[in-house]
Amino acid sequence: MSKLMYSCEQAAKLSSQAMEQPLTATERVLLGMHLMMCKRCTNFAQQIEFLRRASRKIPEVLEKDAS
Amino acid sequence: MPLRLPFLGSIHGKMTRCTIHVRRRTSRITICHIRTMAEQDDLAQSLEAHRKYLLRYAQFHLRDASLAEDAVQDTMIAALAQRERFEGRSQLRTWLTGILKHKIIDLTRSQSRALPADTISLAEDGAPAEGAFNAQGKWVDPPAGWGMPDAALESAQFWRVYQECCQRMSKRDALVFSMREVMGMSSDDICKKIEITTTNLHVILFRARLSLRSCMSKNWFGTHTP
Repeated sequence: MSKLMYSCEQAAKLSSQAMEQPLTATERVLLGMHLMMCKRCTNFAQQIEFLRRASRKIPEVLEKDAS
Repeated sequence: MPLRLPFLGSIHGKMTRCTIHVRRRTSRITICHIRTMAEQDDLAQSLEAHRKYLLRYAQFHLRDASLAEDAVQDTMIAALAQRERFEGRSQLRTWLTGILKHKIIDLTRSQSRALPADTISLAEDGAPAEGAFNAQGKWVDPPAGWGMPDAALESAQFWRVYQECCQRMSKRDALVFSMREVMGMSSDDICKKIEITTTNLHVILFRARLSLRSCMSKNWFGTHTP
């Protein structure tokens, strides 16, 4: 790992990947460091988590529409 | 107008009266309605109660009314043919939705094959983020806060915006995103089902999330932040 700081793009990509599979210890540390300093990427990470919660509700929403 | 041809057939040895529904436009023949003689069959009738929901579910994923109808018909037929696999009426909708999911995935897959542009965009080394970042990896349009977003889940208008934003993704991206986030399938199952690598899956999901997040930010949270 030559570069110790993640760019926003790398951080965002890993935040998305973390929703699919556990990150390595190094990735977790570097992502954590980036997020501590970057409000934008923290917003992104929280918002894609929110979109997951929202998406899981789609069947319920369609059910309401159909009733 | 569809042409309806009544005929007699049999499913699992039971006499049934069926109607064949011929769509001239596509020359596809689908069985429109299956009823056992004297309409004694509870299952066929219970199925009808779920038709509207299944249609909405199919329409959400397929974005095409006629394809959605075909998927639901196929689901009904499969349900009747596999009735012995169904136990416990209380989860009939869950069971039917499970069958429908497979129909939706198969239909989208066969459509995607006819669209080479979709496969090209899968290139792993390409720019999966589609202009979200500059050459230094910085946000072009930095994500602003959404406040307390969960309140939005109660708004019908929020869901309309959500659905419109999903439609801005390519069909293939939207399907993969849906399989993961709406249908709740595991990453492994998705990769097997549509024959993509884990790396591809991550690229598609990242691209889909960037696109949906940005669209929701512009069209909902940008204008509705408390």
